[in-house]
Amino acid sequence: MPTTAVTPSIGSRAGHAPNAQAEVAQLFERWQRREDESAREELVRRFMPLARSLARRYGRSSEPFEDLLQVASLGLLKAIDRYDAERGHPFQSYAVPTILGEMRRYFRDSGWAIHVPRGAQERALKVRDAQERLSNETGRAPTANQLAQYLEIDVEDVIDALQAIRAYETVSLDAPRGGGDDDVVPYGDTIGRDDERYELVELDATVSSALGHLPPRDRLVLQLRFVEDLTQTEIAERVGISQMQVSRLLRRSLDQLRALTDAPAQAR
Amino acid sequence: MAGAPNVRLRLSNRAENVLLVRQALSGLAEAVGLDPIALNDVSTAVTEACNNVVLHAYEGGEGPFEVELAAHENGLDATVRDHGSGIRPGVQTVEEVSGGIGLPVIQALSDSVEFRDVPGGGTEVAMHFDAAPAEPPEESGAEEGAELEAIDHGTPGDVTLMTVGPTSVARGVVPRVLSTLAARAYFSTDRISDTQLLADALVAHADGSTSAGHLGVGVSVAPRHLEIRIGPLQTGRAGALFGAAAMDGLGPVLERLADGHEVSAAGSAEVLDLKLAQRG
Repeated sequence: MPTTAVTPSIGSRAGHAPNAQAEVAQLFERWQRREDESAREELVRRFMPLARSLARRYGRSSEPFEDLLQVASLGLLKAIDRYDAERGHPFQSYAVPTILGEMRRYFRDSGWAIHVPRGAQERALKVRDAQERLSNETGRAPTANQLAQYLEIDVEDVIDALQAIRAYETVSLDAPRGGGDDDVVPYGDTIGRDDERYELVELDATVSSALGHLPPRDRLVLQLRFVEDLTQTEIAERVGISQMQVSRLLRRSLDQLRALTDAPAQAR
Repeated sequence: MAGAPNVRLRLSNRAENVLLVRQALSGLAEAVGLDPIALNDVSTAVTEACNNVVLHAYEGGEGPFEVELAAHENGLDATVRDHGSGIRPGVQTVEEVSGGIGLPVIQALSDSVEFRDVPGGGTEVAMHFDAAPAEPPEESGAEEGAELEAIDHGTPGDVTLMTVGPTSVARGVVPRVLSTLAARAYFSTDRISDTQLLADALVAHADGSTSAGHLGVGVSVAPRHLEIRIGPLQTGRAGALFGAAAMDGLGPVLERLADGHEVSAAGSAEVLDLKLAQRG
Protein backbone atom coordinates (compact mmCIF):
# COMPACT_ATOMS: atom_id res chain seq x y z
CA MET A 1 0.00 0.00 0.00
CA PRO A 2 1.58 3.26 -1.09
CA THR A 3 0.64 5.23 2.00
CA THR A 4 2.53 3.11 4.48
CA ALA A 5 6.08 4.31 4.01
CA VAL A 6 6.98 7.55 5.72
CA THR A 7 10.65 7.99 5.13
CA PRO A 8 12.90 5.82 3.10
CA SER A 9 14.52 2.60 3.85
CA ILE A 10 15.58 2.49 7.49
CA GLY A 11 12.85 0.01 8.19
CA SER A 12 13.87 -2.38 5.49
CA ARG A 13 17.32 -2.67 6.94
CA ALA A 14 16.42 -2.44 10.58
CA GLY A 15 13.68 -4.87 11.09
CA HIS A 16 10.40 -3.81 9.59
CA ALA A 17 9.73 -7.02 7.71
CA PRO A 18 7.93 -9.53 9.93
CA ASN A 19 10.74 -12.05 10.10
CA ALA A 20 13.30 -9.32 10.73
CA GLN A 21 11.09 -8.09 13.57
CA ALA A 22 11.03 -11.57 15.03
CA GLU A 23 14.82 -11.69 14.81
CA VAL A 24 15.08 -8.35 16.60
CA ALA A 25 12.74 -9.57 19.33
CA GLN A 26 14.94 -12.62 19.74
CA LEU A 27 18.07 -10.51 19.95
CA PHE A 28 16.51 -8.36 22.67
CA GLU A 29 15.51 -11.46 24.54
CA ARG A 30 19.09 -12.79 24.36
CA TRP A 31 20.58 -9.51 25.49
CA GLN A 32 18.13 -8.36 28.14
CA ARG A 33 17.29 -11.76 29.67
CA ARG A 34 20.50 -13.67 29.16
CA GLU A 35 23.06 -10.85 28.94
CA ASP A 36 24.36 -12.23 25.69
CA GLU A 37 26.85 -9.55 24.59
CA SER A 38 26.95 -10.83 21.03
CA ALA A 39 23.20 -10.18 20.73
CA ARG A 40 23.75 -6.60 21.88
CA GLU A 41 26.50 -6.16 19.31
CA GLU A 42 24.21 -7.46 16.63
CA LEU A 43 21.50 -5.01 17.70
CA VAL A 44 23.98 -2.13 17.53
CA ARG A 45 25.06 -3.26 14.07
CA ARG A 46 21.48 -3.50 12.86
CA PHE A 47 20.34 -0.15 14.19
CA MET A 48 23.47 1.88 13.56
CA PRO A 49 21.97 3.08 10.24
CA LEU A 50 19.10 4.52 12.28
CA ALA A 51 21.51 6.42 14.54
CA ARG A 52 23.48 7.62 11.53
CA SER A 53 20.36 8.73 9.73
CA LEU A 54 19.11 10.66 12.75
CA ALA A 55 22.49 12.33 13.24
CA ARG A 56 22.48 13.41 9.61
CA ARG A 57 18.95 14.76 9.82
CA TYR A 58 19.33 16.55 13.10
CA GLY A 59 22.87 17.81 12.71
CA ARG A 60 22.79 18.79 9.09
CA SER A 61 25.25 21.62 9.42
CA SER A 62 27.24 20.27 12.32
CA GLU A 63 30.95 19.94 12.10
CA PRO A 64 32.57 17.60 12.69
CA PHE A 65 29.82 15.13 11.88
CA GLU A 66 31.71 12.27 13.55
CA ASP A 67 31.25 13.89 16.98
CA LEU A 68 27.52 13.99 16.57
CA LEU A 69 27.45 10.44 15.25
CA GLN A 70 29.19 9.35 18.42
CA VAL A 71 26.51 11.05 20.50
CA ALA A 72 23.79 9.38 18.42
CA SER A 73 25.49 6.00 18.94
CA LEU A 74 25.50 6.59 22.66
CA GLY A 75 21.78 7.28 22.44
CA LEU A 76 21.34 4.04 20.54
CA LEU A 77 23.13 2.06 23.26
CA LYS A 78 20.91 3.62 25.91
CA ALA A 79 17.84 2.76 23.88
CA ILE A 80 18.99 -0.86 23.44
CA ASP A 81 19.59 -1.23 27.16
CA ARG A 82 16.36 0.41 28.28
CA TYR A 83 13.89 -0.77 25.66
CA ASP A 84 11.03 -2.74 27.11
CA ALA A 85 9.83 -5.24 24.51
CA GLU A 86 6.95 -6.30 26.76
CA ARG A 87 5.16 -3.02 26.04
CA GLY A 88 4.64 -4.13 22.48
CA HIS A 89 5.99 -1.05 20.70
CA PRO A 90 8.55 -1.56 17.98
CA PHE A 91 12.08 -0.68 18.97
CA GLN A 92 12.32 2.28 16.55
CA SER A 93 9.49 4.17 18.21
CA TYR A 94 11.51 4.07 21.44
CA ALA A 95 14.93 4.54 19.87
CA VAL A 96 14.14 7.65 17.79
CA PRO A 97 13.19 9.94 20.71
CA THR A 98 15.98 8.48 22.87
CA ILE A 99 18.67 9.16 20.25
CA LEU A 100 17.27 12.62 19.42
CA GLY A 101 17.10 13.41 23.13
CA GLU A 102 20.78 12.55 23.46
CA MET A 103 21.70 14.84 20.58
CA ARG A 104 19.56 17.70 21.86
CA ARG A 105 21.18 17.44 25.26
CA TYR A 106 24.60 17.42 23.62
CA PHE A 107 23.78 20.56 21.66
CA ARG A 108 22.61 22.33 24.81
CA ASP A 109 25.52 21.23 26.99
CA SER A 110 28.33 21.67 24.48
CA GLY A 111 27.50 25.26 23.63
CA TRP A 112 26.64 24.18 20.11
CA ALA A 113 24.57 27.34 19.63
CA ILE A 114 27.75 29.33 20.09
CA HIS A 115 29.75 27.15 17.71
CA VAL A 116 27.16 27.38 14.95
CA PRO A 117 27.89 30.97 13.97
CA ARG A 118 31.60 30.23 14.04
CA GLY A 119 31.22 27.22 11.75
CA ALA A 120 28.96 29.24 9.48
CA GLN A 121 31.51 32.02 9.38
CA GLU A 122 34.31 29.66 8.47
CA ARG A 123 32.19 28.24 5.68
CA ALA A 124 31.33 31.74 4.51
CA LEU A 125 35.05 32.53 4.26
CA LYS A 126 35.63 29.36 2.25
CA VAL A 127 32.81 30.25 -0.10
CA ARG A 128 34.15 33.78 -0.47
CA ASP A 129 37.63 32.52 -1.30
CA ALA A 130 36.33 29.92 -3.75
CA GLN A 131 34.18 32.57 -5.38
CA GLU A 132 37.22 34.75 -5.97
CA ARG A 133 39.34 31.88 -7.21
CA LEU A 134 36.72 30.66 -9.66
CA SER A 135 36.03 34.21 -10.84
CA ASN A 136 39.72 34.76 -11.50
CA GLU A 137 40.07 31.48 -13.34
CA THR A 138 37.09 31.89 -15.61
CA GLY A 139 36.63 35.67 -15.74
CA ARG A 140 33.03 35.36 -14.60
CA ALA A 141 31.22 34.88 -11.33
CA PRO A 142 30.38 31.24 -10.57
CA THR A 143 26.88 29.93 -9.89
CA ALA A 144 25.91 28.58 -6.48
CA ASN A 145 26.00 25.05 -7.92
CA GLN A 146 29.54 25.55 -9.22
CA LEU A 147 30.64 26.74 -5.78
CA ALA A 148 28.95 23.77 -4.12
CA GLN A 149 30.67 21.35 -6.49
CA TYR A 150 34.02 23.02 -6.12
CA LEU A 151 33.89 22.99 -2.32
CA GLU A 152 32.08 19.63 -2.12
CA ILE A 153 29.33 21.05 0.07
CA ASP A 154 25.54 21.33 -0.32
CA VAL A 155 24.02 24.16 -2.33
CA GLU A 156 22.13 24.94 0.87
CA ASP A 157 25.42 25.66 2.61
CA VAL A 158 26.46 27.95 -0.23
CA ILE A 159 23.17 29.85 0.01
CA ASP A 160 23.62 30.17 3.77
CA ALA A 161 27.14 31.44 3.21
CA LEU A 162 26.02 34.02 0.64
CA GLN A 163 23.46 35.15 3.19
CA ALA A 164 26.11 35.43 5.89
CA ILE A 165 28.51 37.27 3.62
CA ARG A 166 25.88 39.79 2.71
CA ALA A 167 25.22 40.48 6.38
CA TYR A 168 28.45 42.42 6.46
CA GLU A 169 28.80 42.19 10.22
CA THR A 170 29.19 38.43 10.08
CA VAL A 171 32.32 38.07 8.04
CA SER A 172 34.88 40.29 9.59
CA LEU A 173 36.53 42.77 7.30
CA ASP A 174 39.79 41.81 8.91
CA ALA A 175 39.48 38.13 8.17
CA PRO A 176 42.53 37.04 6.21
CA ARG A 177 41.90 36.41 2.56
CA GLY A 178 42.66 33.07 1.02
CA GLY A 179 45.70 32.24 -1.09
CA GLY A 180 49.37 32.31 -0.25
CA ASP A 181 50.80 33.85 2.90
CA ASP A 182 52.13 36.83 1.00
CA ASP A 183 48.72 38.08 0.02
CA VAL A 184 47.20 38.04 3.46
CA VAL A 185 46.03 41.61 3.47
CA PRO A 186 43.12 42.64 5.65
CA TYR A 187 40.20 43.94 3.59
CA GLY A 188 40.32 47.26 5.37
CA ASP A 189 43.76 47.95 3.90
CA THR A 190 42.87 47.15 0.31
CA ILE A 191 39.87 49.41 0.48
CA GLY A 192 41.85 52.43 1.57
CA ARG A 193 44.35 51.99 -1.20
CA ASP A 194 41.76 51.43 -3.87
CA ASP A 195 40.19 54.78 -3.19
CA GLU A 196 43.30 56.56 -4.26
CA ARG A 197 43.39 54.75 -7.57
CA TYR A 198 40.13 56.22 -8.64
CA GLU A 199 39.20 59.65 -9.56
CA LEU A 200 35.78 60.04 -8.10
CA VAL A 201 33.18 61.65 -10.22
CA GLU A 202 31.53 64.32 -8.14
CA LEU A 203 27.82 63.88 -8.17
CA ASP A 204 25.31 66.61 -8.73
CA ALA A 205 25.15 68.94 -5.73
CA THR A 206 21.40 68.69 -5.17
CA VAL A 207 21.73 64.98 -5.32
CA SER A 208 24.54 64.65 -2.89
CA SER A 209 22.27 65.50 0.03
CA ALA A 210 21.77 61.83 0.85
CA LEU A 211 24.67 60.38 -1.10
CA GLY A 212 26.95 62.96 0.49
CA HIS A 213 26.66 61.10 3.75
CA LEU A 214 28.39 58.10 2.26
CA PRO A 215 32.15 57.62 1.94
CA PRO A 216 33.54 58.27 -1.55
CA ARG A 217 34.23 54.62 -2.26
CA ASP A 218 30.64 53.65 -1.46
CA ARG A 219 29.35 56.44 -3.71
CA LEU A 220 31.58 55.23 -6.51
CA VAL A 221 30.37 51.65 -6.21
CA LEU A 222 26.74 52.78 -6.16
CA GLN A 223 27.28 54.92 -9.19
CA LEU A 224 29.04 52.20 -11.15
CA ARG A 225 26.20 49.79 -10.41
CA PHE A 226 23.15 52.01 -10.75
CA VAL A 227 24.20 54.82 -13.09
CA GLU A 228 26.69 53.06 -15.34
CA ASP A 229 24.95 49.71 -14.94
CA LEU A 230 28.09 47.64 -14.58
CA THR A 231 27.80 44.14 -13.14
CA GLN A 232 29.11 43.55 -9.65
CA THR A 233 31.95 41.52 -11.14
CA GLU A 234 32.93 44.39 -13.45
CA ILE A 235 32.80 46.80 -10.53
CA ALA A 236 34.95 44.45 -8.49
CA GLU A 237 37.58 44.47 -11.24
CA ARG A 238 37.51 48.22 -11.65
CA VAL A 239 37.68 49.03 -7.98
CA GLY A 240 40.03 46.20 -7.08
CA ILE A 241 37.88 44.54 -4.42
CA SER A 242 36.00 41.26 -4.48
CA GLN A 243 32.50 40.89 -5.88
CA MET A 244 31.34 39.81 -2.44
CA GLN A 245 32.70 43.02 -1.07
CA VAL A 246 30.84 44.96 -3.76
CA SER A 247 27.68 43.09 -2.81
CA ARG A 248 28.09 43.96 0.84
CA LEU A 249 28.89 47.60 0.11
CA LEU A 250 25.84 47.95 -2.10
CA ARG A 251 23.58 46.49 0.52
CA ARG A 252 24.92 48.67 3.28
CA SER A 253 24.85 51.81 1.15
CA LEU A 254 21.29 51.24 -0.04
CA ASP A 255 20.19 50.59 3.56
CA GLN A 256 21.81 53.84 4.63
CA LEU A 257 20.31 55.80 1.77
CA ARG A 258 16.87 54.39 2.54
CA ALA A 259 17.22 55.35 6.17
CA LEU A 260 18.30 58.86 5.17
CA THR A 261 15.54 59.41 2.64
CA ASP A 262 12.85 57.75 4.78
CA ALA A 263 13.44 59.99 7.75
CA PRO A 264 12.19 63.22 6.11
CA ALA A 265 9.44 61.32 4.32
CA GLN A 266 8.05 60.10 7.62
CA ALA A 267 8.26 63.55 9.16
CA ARG A 268 5.94 64.89 6.49
CA MET B 1 -3.02 31.57 16.74
CA ALA B 2 -4.77 34.73 15.69
CA GLY B 3 -4.40 36.44 12.34
CA ALA B 4 -2.59 35.17 9.31
CA PRO B 5 0.59 33.11 9.60
CA ASN B 6 3.79 35.08 9.13
CA VAL B 7 4.82 33.01 6.17
CA ARG B 8 2.63 31.00 3.87
CA LEU B 9 4.13 29.08 0.99
CA ARG B 10 2.48 27.18 -1.79
CA LEU B 11 4.89 24.98 -3.66
CA SER B 12 5.13 21.97 -5.85
CA ASN B 13 6.24 18.83 -4.00
CA ARG B 14 9.61 18.78 -5.78
CA ALA B 15 12.49 17.69 -3.58
CA GLU B 16 14.38 20.96 -4.06
CA ASN B 17 11.50 22.89 -2.54
CA VAL B 18 12.26 21.48 0.90
CA LEU B 19 15.36 23.66 0.85
CA LEU B 20 13.15 26.65 0.08
CA VAL B 21 10.98 25.90 3.12
CA ARG B 22 14.09 25.60 5.30
CA GLN B 23 15.38 28.93 4.03
CA ALA B 24 12.04 30.62 4.72
CA LEU B 25 12.15 29.17 8.21
CA SER B 26 15.71 30.39 8.76
CA GLY B 27 14.68 33.85 7.59
CA LEU B 28 11.75 33.86 10.00
CA ALA B 29 13.93 32.60 12.87
CA GLU B 30 16.45 35.32 12.18
CA ALA B 31 13.76 38.00 12.06
CA VAL B 32 12.11 36.97 15.32
CA GLY B 33 15.20 35.93 17.26
CA LEU B 34 14.63 32.20 17.61
CA ASP B 35 17.57 30.49 19.25
CA PRO B 36 19.67 28.19 17.01
CA ILE B 37 18.91 24.97 18.90
CA ALA B 38 15.18 25.63 18.72
CA LEU B 39 15.53 26.45 15.04
CA ASN B 40 17.35 23.18 14.51
CA ASP B 41 14.49 21.26 16.16
CA VAL B 42 11.85 23.08 14.15
CA SER B 43 13.78 22.82 10.92
CA THR B 44 14.41 19.09 11.33
CA ALA B 45 10.76 18.36 12.10
CA VAL B 46 9.44 20.55 9.29
CA THR B 47 11.92 18.95 6.89
CA GLU B 48 10.58 15.51 7.81
CA ALA B 49 7.00 16.62 7.22
CA CYS B 50 7.95 18.14 3.85
CA ASN B 51 9.99 15.10 2.81
CA ASN B 52 6.99 12.99 3.51
CA VAL B 53 4.94 15.10 1.10
CA VAL B 54 7.70 14.99 -1.51
CA LEU B 55 8.05 11.22 -1.32
CA HIS B 56 4.59 9.94 -0.61
CA ALA B 57 1.73 12.42 -0.84
CA TYR B 58 1.27 12.13 -4.59
CA GLU B 59 2.44 8.57 -5.04
CA GLY B 60 5.42 9.49 -7.12
CA GLY B 61 3.66 12.26 -9.03
CA GLU B 62 3.76 16.03 -8.68
CA GLY B 63 1.28 18.04 -6.67
CA PRO B 64 1.01 21.18 -4.55
CA PHE B 65 1.65 21.55 -0.86
CA GLU B 66 1.42 24.42 1.57
CA VAL B 67 3.54 25.41 4.50
CA GLU B 68 2.48 27.94 7.11
CA LEU B 69 4.79 29.35 9.74
CA ALA B 70 3.66 31.55 12.59
CA ALA B 71 5.87 32.94 15.34
CA HIS B 72 4.24 34.39 18.42
CA GLU B 73 4.97 34.91 22.08
CA ASN B 74 3.86 31.37 22.92
CA GLY B 75 6.18 29.70 20.47
CA LEU B 76 6.09 28.73 16.86
CA ASP B 77 3.51 26.91 14.80
CA ALA B 78 4.34 25.11 11.58
CA THR B 79 1.78 23.45 9.37
CA VAL B 80 2.50 21.31 6.32
CA ARG B 81 -0.50 20.45 4.18
CA ASP B 82 -0.85 18.36 1.06
CA HIS B 83 -3.78 17.48 -1.14
CA GLY B 84 -2.77 13.96 -2.01
CA SER B 85 -2.95 10.63 -0.26
CA GLY B 86 -0.60 11.82 2.48
CA ILE B 87 -0.09 10.03 5.73
CA ARG B 88 -3.30 8.86 7.26
CA PRO B 89 -2.90 8.57 10.97
CA GLY B 90 -6.53 7.57 11.18
CA VAL B 91 -5.64 4.47 9.26
CA GLN B 92 -2.13 3.96 10.53
CA THR B 93 -0.78 4.68 13.93
CA VAL B 94 2.77 5.82 14.29
CA GLU B 95 3.63 2.34 15.50
CA GLU B 96 2.34 0.82 12.31
CA VAL B 97 4.47 3.02 10.12
CA SER B 98 7.49 3.23 12.36
CA GLY B 99 9.54 1.41 9.80
CA GLY B 100 9.99 4.97 8.60
CA ILE B 101 11.38 7.44 11.07
CA GLY B 102 9.78 10.65 9.82
CA LEU B 103 6.80 10.58 12.15
CA PRO B 104 8.71 9.59 15.28
CA VAL B 105 11.18 12.40 14.53
CA ILE B 106 8.34 14.93 14.23
CA GLN B 107 6.79 13.64 17.44
CA ALA B 108 10.07 13.72 19.32
CA LEU B 109 11.05 17.25 18.26
CA SER B 110 7.71 19.08 18.40
CA ASP B 111 5.94 19.88 21.64
CA SER B 112 2.65 18.84 20.13
CA VAL B 113 1.55 17.60 16.75
CA GLU B 114 -1.79 16.94 15.16
CA PHE B 115 -2.50 15.04 11.99
CA ARG B 116 -5.68 16.12 10.29
CA ASP B 117 -7.50 15.15 7.14
CA VAL B 118 -7.82 17.95 4.60
CA PRO B 119 -11.32 18.35 3.17
CA GLY B 120 -11.27 17.06 -0.38
CA GLY B 121 -8.30 14.80 0.30
CA GLY B 122 -4.88 15.21 1.77
CA THR B 123 -3.24 15.52 5.13
CA GLU B 124 -2.22 18.36 7.37
CA VAL B 125 0.56 18.03 9.91
CA ALA B 126 0.21 20.83 12.47
CA MET B 127 3.23 21.14 14.73
CA HIS B 128 3.64 23.40 17.72
CA PHE B 129 6.96 24.28 19.30
CA ASP B 130 7.09 25.89 22.74
CA ALA B 131 10.38 27.70 22.15
CA ALA B 132 9.37 31.34 22.09
CA PRO B 133 11.12 33.84 19.84
CA ALA B 134 13.00 36.65 21.57
CA GLU B 135 11.22 39.24 19.46
CA PRO B 136 7.82 37.92 18.43
CA PRO B 137 6.50 39.89 15.47
CA GLU B 138 3.63 42.30 15.88
CA GLU B 139 0.33 40.88 14.95
CA SER B 140 -0.28 42.27 11.53
CA GLY B 141 -4.05 41.97 11.45
CA ALA B 142 -3.73 40.65 7.92
CA GLU B 143 -6.66 38.54 6.89
CA GLU B 144 -6.33 35.02 5.67
CA GLY B 145 -7.13 35.62 2.11
CA ALA B 146 -6.79 35.83 -1.54
CA GLU B 147 -3.18 37.01 -1.73
CA LEU B 148 -1.88 33.72 -3.04
CA GLU B 149 -4.37 33.71 -5.89
CA ALA B 150 -3.61 37.35 -6.73
CA ILE B 151 0.06 36.64 -7.32
CA ASP B 152 -0.35 33.34 -9.11
CA HIS B 153 1.19 33.65 -12.56
CA GLY B 154 -1.24 31.07 -13.79
CA THR B 155 1.58 29.41 -15.68
CA PRO B 156 2.45 25.80 -15.04
CA GLY B 157 5.99 24.86 -14.11
CA ASP B 158 8.25 25.75 -11.24
CA VAL B 159 6.15 28.35 -9.43
CA THR B 160 6.44 29.33 -5.79
CA LEU B 161 3.82 31.50 -4.11
CA MET B 162 4.43 33.15 -0.79
CA THR B 163 2.79 35.66 1.49
CA VAL B 164 4.81 37.13 4.27
CA GLY B 165 4.42 39.75 6.95
CA PRO B 166 4.81 41.93 8.85
CA THR B 167 7.65 43.86 7.24
CA SER B 168 10.14 42.87 9.96
CA VAL B 169 9.59 39.22 9.00
CA ALA B 170 9.53 39.90 5.26
CA ARG B 171 12.95 41.52 5.57
CA GLY B 172 14.38 38.22 6.80
CA VAL B 173 12.40 35.85 4.62
CA VAL B 174 12.06 37.40 1.15
CA PRO B 175 15.80 37.81 0.36
CA ARG B 176 16.50 34.24 1.44
CA VAL B 177 13.68 32.76 -0.59
CA LEU B 178 14.49 34.81 -3.68
CA SER B 179 18.20 34.07 -3.53
CA THR B 180 17.47 30.35 -3.19
CA LEU B 181 15.35 30.55 -6.33
CA ALA B 182 18.03 32.62 -8.08
CA ALA B 183 20.53 29.89 -7.27
CA ARG B 184 18.12 27.36 -8.72
CA ALA B 185 17.89 29.44 -11.91
CA TYR B 186 21.69 29.12 -12.28
CA PHE B 187 22.34 32.77 -11.51
CA SER B 188 25.94 33.71 -10.82
CA THR B 189 26.85 35.04 -7.39
CA ASP B 190 26.73 38.65 -8.54
CA ARG B 191 23.25 38.19 -9.96
CA ILE B 192 22.18 36.37 -6.79
CA SER B 193 23.37 39.40 -4.88
CA ASP B 194 21.36 41.67 -7.20
CA THR B 195 18.33 39.51 -6.50
CA GLN B 196 18.87 39.97 -2.76
CA LEU B 197 19.18 43.73 -3.22
CA LEU B 198 15.99 43.72 -5.25
CA ALA B 199 14.26 41.76 -2.46
CA ASP B 200 15.45 44.32 0.11
CA ALA B 201 14.12 47.17 -2.00
CA LEU B 202 10.76 45.48 -2.57
CA VAL B 203 10.27 44.76 1.12
CA ALA B 204 11.35 48.27 2.13
CA HIS B 205 9.06 50.05 -0.30
CA ALA B 206 6.05 47.73 -0.45
CA ASP B 207 5.32 48.52 3.20
CA GLY B 208 1.94 50.25 3.22
CA SER B 209 1.30 49.51 -0.46
CA THR B 210 -0.13 46.05 -0.12
CA SER B 211 -3.87 45.76 -0.26
CA ALA B 212 -4.05 42.65 1.89
CA GLY B 213 -1.71 43.42 4.77
CA HIS B 214 0.90 40.83 3.87
CA LEU B 215 3.27 41.03 0.96
CA GLY B 216 2.59 38.49 -1.75
CA VAL B 217 5.47 37.23 -3.83
CA GLY B 218 5.03 34.79 -6.69
CA VAL B 219 8.11 33.47 -8.43
CA SER B 220 8.42 31.39 -11.53
CA VAL B 221 11.80 29.85 -12.25
CA ALA B 222 13.31 28.85 -15.58
CA PRO B 223 17.00 28.36 -16.37
CA ARG B 224 18.67 31.79 -16.21
CA HIS B 225 15.33 33.54 -15.67
CA LEU B 226 13.20 34.57 -12.73
CA GLU B 227 9.79 36.15 -13.00
CA ILE B 228 8.68 37.79 -9.80
CA ARG B 229 5.16 38.99 -9.17
CA ILE B 230 4.51 41.34 -6.27
CA GLY B 231 1.00 42.01 -5.05
CA PRO B 232 -1.75 42.55 -4.45
CA LEU B 233 -0.90 46.25 -4.28
CA GLN B 234 -3.33 49.10 -3.83
CA THR B 235 -4.25 50.63 -7.16
CA GLY B 236 -1.63 53.14 -8.19
CA ARG B 237 0.95 51.78 -5.79
CA ALA B 238 2.83 49.44 -8.13
CA GLY B 239 4.18 52.33 -10.19
CA ALA B 240 4.70 54.35 -7.03
CA LEU B 241 6.72 51.48 -5.56
CA PHE B 242 9.07 51.79 -8.48
CA GLY B 243 9.36 55.53 -7.95
CA ALA B 244 9.85 55.13 -4.20
CA ALA B 245 12.75 52.82 -4.83
CA ALA B 246 14.48 55.54 -6.85
CA MET B 247 17.48 57.02 -5.10
CA ASP B 248 18.65 60.57 -5.49
CA GLY B 249 21.36 60.55 -8.07
CA LEU B 250 21.05 56.85 -8.73
CA GLY B 251 17.69 56.69 -10.43
CA PRO B 252 15.28 53.81 -10.18
CA VAL B 253 17.25 51.17 -8.34
CA LEU B 254 14.65 48.47 -9.01
CA GLU B 255 14.84 49.12 -12.73
CA ARG B 256 18.59 48.62 -12.75
CA LEU B 257 18.39 45.41 -10.79
CA ALA B 258 15.62 43.93 -12.93
CA ASP B 259 15.55 43.29 -16.66
CA GLY B 260 12.01 44.39 -17.20
CA HIS B 261 8.87 45.30 -15.34
CA GLU B 262 5.18 45.65 -15.93
CA VAL B 263 2.22 46.81 -13.87
CA SER B 264 -1.12 45.15 -14.40
CA ALA B 265 -4.53 45.20 -12.79
CA ALA B 266 -5.61 42.22 -10.72
CA GLY B 267 -9.22 42.63 -9.70
CA SER B 268 -9.53 45.70 -7.54
CA ALA B 269 -5.79 45.78 -6.94
CA GLU B 270 -2.67 45.66 -9.07
CA VAL B 271 0.43 43.56 -9.34
CA LEU B 272 4.00 44.36 -10.30
CA ASP B 273 5.84 41.89 -12.50
CA LEU B 274 9.61 41.92 -12.56
CA LYS B 275 11.89 39.88 -14.78
CA LEU B 276 15.42 38.99 -13.85
CA ALA B 277 17.84 37.26 -16.14
CA GLN B 278 21.35 35.94 -15.86
CA ARG B 279 23.36 38.21 -18.09
CA GLY B 280 26.38 37.27 -20.13
